[in-house]
Amino acid sequence: MNNMLTLTALQPLWAELFMAMMVMGFLIFGVFKGDQSTRLLTFLGILGLFFVSVLLMNAPLGKEPLLGGMLVQDVFGRNVKLILVVALAVSYMLSLKYLYDTGFVKFEFPILILLAGLGMFLMVSAHHLLSFYMALELQSLSLYILAAFHRNSAKSAEAGIKYFILGALSSGLILFGISLLYGFTGVLDYTQLGQIIAELEGIEKTGVVFGMMFLMAGLAFKISAVPFHMWTPDVYEGASLPVTAFFALAPKLAALALLLRLLVGPFEALVTDWQMVIMFLSVMSMVWAAFAGLVQKNLKRLMAYSSIGNMGYALLGVVMLTTEGVTATFFYLMLYLIMVAGVFAVMLCMQRDGVVFKQIEDLAGLSKNHPKLAYAMALLMFSMSGIPPLSGFFGKMIVFQEVVAQEMYVLALVGVLTSVVAAYYYLRIIKVMFFDAPDMPYSKGFGVFRNGVIIVSVLFAVFYVLRPDALLPFARTTATDLLTPPAIIQTHDIQLDN
Amino acid sequence: MDYIAVFTPLVTFLFVGLFGKSIGDKASQFITCAGIIVSAVCSVMLFNDVILHANSRILFLSSWIDVGTFSVEWSLRIDQLTVVMMNVITIVSACVHVYSVGYMSHDKAKARFMAYLSLFTFAMLMLVTSDNLLQLFFGWEGVGLASYLLIGFWNHKESANAASMKAFIVNRVGDFGLALGIMAIFMIFGSVNFSTIFENVQAHTGDVIKFLGHEFHALTVIGLLLFIGAMGKSAQLGLHTWLPDAMEGPTPVSALIHAATMVTAGVFLVARFSPLYEYAPDALMVVTLVGGTTALIAATIAMTQFDIKRVIAYSTMSQLGYMFFALGVSAYGAAMFHLMTHAFFKALLFLGAGSVIHAMSDEQDMRNMGGLWTKIPVTYCLMWIGGLALAGIPLFAGYYSKDMILESAYADHTWFGEYAFWAGIAAAFMTAFYTWRLMILTFHGKSRAPIEVQKKIHESPKIMLFPLMVLAMGAVFSGAYFYDGFVGEGRTHFWESSLHVLPENDTIENAHHVPEWVKSLPLVMGVSGIALAYVFYLFFPVLPSIFRKIFMPFHLLFYRKWFFDEIYNVFFVKTARGLGKLFWKRGDKALIDGLGPDGLSSLSHRIGRRLGQMQTGFIYHYAFVMVVSVVGLLSWVFLRTNGGIL
Amino acid sequence: MASNAFLLEYLPIVIFLCIAGGMSCVMLLFSLLVSKRNPDPEKNAAYECGFDAFEDARSKFDVRFYLVAILFIIFDLEVAFLFPWAVTLGKIGMFGFWSMVIFLGILTVGFIYEWKKGALDWE
Repeated sequence: MNNMLTLTALQPLWAELFMAMMVMGFLIFGVFKGDQSTRLLTFLGILGLFFVSVLLMNAPLGKEPLLGGMLVQDVFGRNVKLILVVALAVSYMLSLKYLYDTGFVKFEFPILILLAGLGMFLMVSAHHLLSFYMALELQSLSLYILAAFHRNSAKSAEAGIKYFILGALSSGLILFGISLLYGFTGVLDYTQLGQIIAELEGIEKTGVVFGMMFLMAGLAFKISAVPFHMWTPDVYEGASLPVTAFFALAPKLAALALLLRLLVGPFEALVTDWQMVIMFLSVMSMVWAAFAGLVQKNLKRLMAYSSIGNMGYALLGVVMLTTEGVTATFFYLMLYLIMVAGVFAVMLCMQRDGVVFKQIEDLAGLSKNHPKLAYAMALLMFSMSGIPPLSGFFGKMIVFQEVVAQEMYVLALVGVLTSVVAAYYYLRIIKVMFFDAPDMPYSKGFGVFRNGVIIVSVLFAVFYVLRPDALLPFARTTATDLLTPPAIIQTHDIQLDN
Repeated sequence: MDYIAVFTPLVTFLFVGLFGKSIGDKASQFITCAGIIVSAVCSVMLFNDVILHANSRILFLSSWIDVGTFSVEWSLRIDQLTVVMMNVITIVSACVHVYSVGYMSHDKAKARFMAYLSLFTFAMLMLVTSDNLLQLFFGWEGVGLASYLLIGFWNHKESANAASMKAFIVNRVGDFGLALGIMAIFMIFGSVNFSTIFENVQAHTGDVIKFLGHEFHALTVIGLLLFIGAMGKSAQLGLHTWLPDAMEGPTPVSALIHAATMVTAGVFLVARFSPLYEYAPDALMVVTLVGGTTALIAATIAMTQFDIKRVIAYSTMSQLGYMFFALGVSAYGAAMFHLMTHAFFKALLFLGAGSVIHAMSDEQDMRNMGGLWTKIPVTYCLMWIGGLALAGIPLFAGYYSKDMILESAYADHTWFGEYAFWAGIAAAFMTAFYTWRLMILTFHGKSRAPIEVQKKIHESPKIMLFPLMVLAMGAVFSGAYFYDGFVGEGRTHFWESSLHVLPENDTIENAHHVPEWVKSLPLVMGVSGIALAYVFYLFFPVLPSIFRKIFMPFHLLFYRKWFFDEIYNVFFVKTARGLGKLFWKRGDKALIDGLGPDGLSSLSHRIGRRLGQMQTGFIYHYAFVMVVSVVGLLSWVFLRTNGGIL
Repeated sequence: MASNAFLLEYLPIVIFLCIAGGMSCVMLLFSLLVSKRNPDPEKNAAYECGFDAFEDARSKFDVRFYLVAILFIIFDLEVAFLFPWAVTLGKIGMFGFWSMVIFLGILTVGFIYEWKKGALDWE
């Protein structure tokens, strides 16, 4: 049995293993070299992430669970991880200059991002409730620290504490859910869980539904769906800007992938039960975010509500759980992430001599002082509010198309109406930038990375119309693979006594 | 060659429009003029090719819309009718382009002006070369846009802005008719392609359109709707009020757009649809009546106006009336003939008037002119030529075409043909009268201009006179030269299938066999009109005022243009404004804004603030919300799955 | 009777509980009776760890105590993990051996980090 776990046998997980090695290597390197190695570590991190993507591309994929049913490396997971790799790399690019500008250079920062990334990778691949929980905690613990990373700032510390306590609560809910599931089925493996749940009846089924509800509540916290979103605005506001950018880019995608895998796998038989819940979360998120966003004065809080609302739209695609629906979800999220990266890059530029500005009114007169930045932001805002022919429009269009195709007209109506309301706060930013009296200009020199991210993001938003189906095949393969029922596989634990 | 003829103006428009500022005025003028001359040369060559060698064709450019059964292409239909129009357009446009170089020499935005002219030319070419109604509509609106831009070219003048808006809005009424007509055609024929429509007309002669429980003859309805469009564009009675006001634009614009080309688009449209109109006699009757009435009324108004350009504008309207009743009696060839000759001599008159205005330091009122003929002799001569052509004196172009129209109307032998004939005869008399009234008031007698203006009177530069001479050639010779081809023995060969006349409607053929008095009457009228004008304005200048007193009501009626503007003002403008105000104040402001945008936005804000208040910042509140939500969700799902029974 | 048999299985636990309770009672009693009591201010002061022995528990204290405690727990758990491993090493073979080596390696990385960061130095 020893030959079962040679390096070749682990090839599907090379990317994750490599990331783990990278984290440890960085830790040793950083602790010996000190904080001035942050820059080097960041560059190495980007390089390493590139290598990770190469490993991912070459990983043998399949629905066959690995490591005794703990993890699975399939097309769905691989694709989500590829998006995550990009998100992590963008987070690196956005954070580096900021850390040096604000003089808060800590070599742990890139390591924590990487560690969180590893957690997300495992979340996406999890195929067992234990690995699921372990991965979730690995990611969450890293995120707690990142939220509080700017520890001299009371706000940041508060954000960290809030996130930690509420996160612990959600973890508690998840654990309770897992224990209920285990109690009623006796298994933790997804495949077995699915098989058993499909056959449950009566009170036992109710118990499993309860367990699932707890799990979903915990995960709703992670994807910040209303009403489990309360932490989001506070944490977004309190955390330092690159951390907020990271929060907006990566973790939700991973948590959503995790949720999706649960919903189509073990909980497939309970579809009528969770469908209502997802619908509720989706509608609540859209409505709440649209209205609460109206009165925000802080850009980061605004982005928090924006991300809540957009998660609502993304969940619209999940409600049906058809291939097209999930395709729409991923398509929407990809377009959204690209826009968000640009928006945060612009926000990161709003600093003067190391002092960061994050109120909406700080954008006043940006068109006078930094016309290029203002136009970039304006385009992104137009795109976010879904105005054709910018990319954001296509995301919304595909989602609504699918919702209408499924004849869920009320959902579509809510979606359209809330996007109209939400358009207000995006457009208000444009108004402030172009029509309000300017203040002092911000510091020059936005850096190559930031400019690059802005340019790519804006160009993408503007020219996406030329190839409006560009990302669809990718989203579609992802969704198709997720929904492909795995061939009946005899899951085998590691036979210890053999 | 076809492409060069059509697309050169577009290229020059784009180039000069985009880079006019950087390449300078001189270069802009040169490029646009050169472009249009190239286009004109190509058109002449096309004329040769298509008409003499009977080589009409349809050139496919690209497909445009392809939805279900509805497919539209961009293509050029180069047939006889098109080529005639193209020649008129490009030649007159070339003259106007060159003339503008001189006329606009004091203006600041030369490049913009030239670019607009090229844009207009392109749109007009697009209109006449279209092979389907949608492309035609594109060109139709394109010329409307160019016209709007050019009327309001001097946008610092409030009257020019008002006039351009008026032209645009009045045309909207006509365009609405045209759009409805296109829809009706699609409904009946299932296509908007000319070829398909014309081939299938006979199959649909019995079709009816049901509307409000009544049945209407489909082709008649289509014909009338298209004619409404034509009325708007060609300033026929009822939708004509914009044309005189359009004279606010620079004079070259009036010559090109509001005399020679754009206003004839309506004539072209009806002629193009001759295969359809032939089967809609009732529509033709309406066309005849409207045309005849327009010819008459416009002529009466022209007799009383003092603004030199307005006189010519009403004259244009009157002549368009001629063309329309020619169409109405199925004399399409005659209408097109008159369209062509009219384009030459009317452009000549306008540009001549422009030359006068230029000489008089932008004075347009004839009461302040007089005695100019010694000072600007060349212009004077050229105006004479134009005037003779307009009045229909033999050997000049207008004689042939106008006589042909009148004879055809007579030869139609219907009551409305008769009506049009007599209206046309009366108008011919008045035409001659007001033309010479204009000539005499402007050029003869004592100068009534202020001294300082008199001092500055000068003959126009060569660059303005040369185009006039080209046009004068056209005004003199085009009638005699093309008579045979357009309306004479060679007409069937000339037009081939581009115009369609049923054998029993061939009024042109009949027109060659009308009594002698019918043939000579227009000439008699023309000569006597000229004579009367001499009597009134040169020999006995008191007579007009005496007449004015005797026929006070009539004069007032004519002078105030039959009160069209006033009536429209009371009936349409004021009521529309009143309604608009009502809807705006009561409907929009109070009801829709109050409940809608304003109300909703304040409501949204209130909700937003409420939700914001829930974001207290206390962890235990957040945790409480989470726990309550979990419990709520659980109970909801539980109650749902268990049907409400625990 | 069946239930009785079931309960009988818990008998050792009950005995164990009794012995434990009895032992602690005996110890307390003996120290109360035998020990010398000679209090002075120094002896009544807070323990060396810095806490007032009899006060509200929610008071500030040096974060270093917390740090040490956390670090201790990590290695404590490591030992708790090593124990069953050592017992079953014969059964799980080289695979089990290397698994634990990797685990210890990861822990060592953490240990190096905390050492270099100075988390183990009191001052």
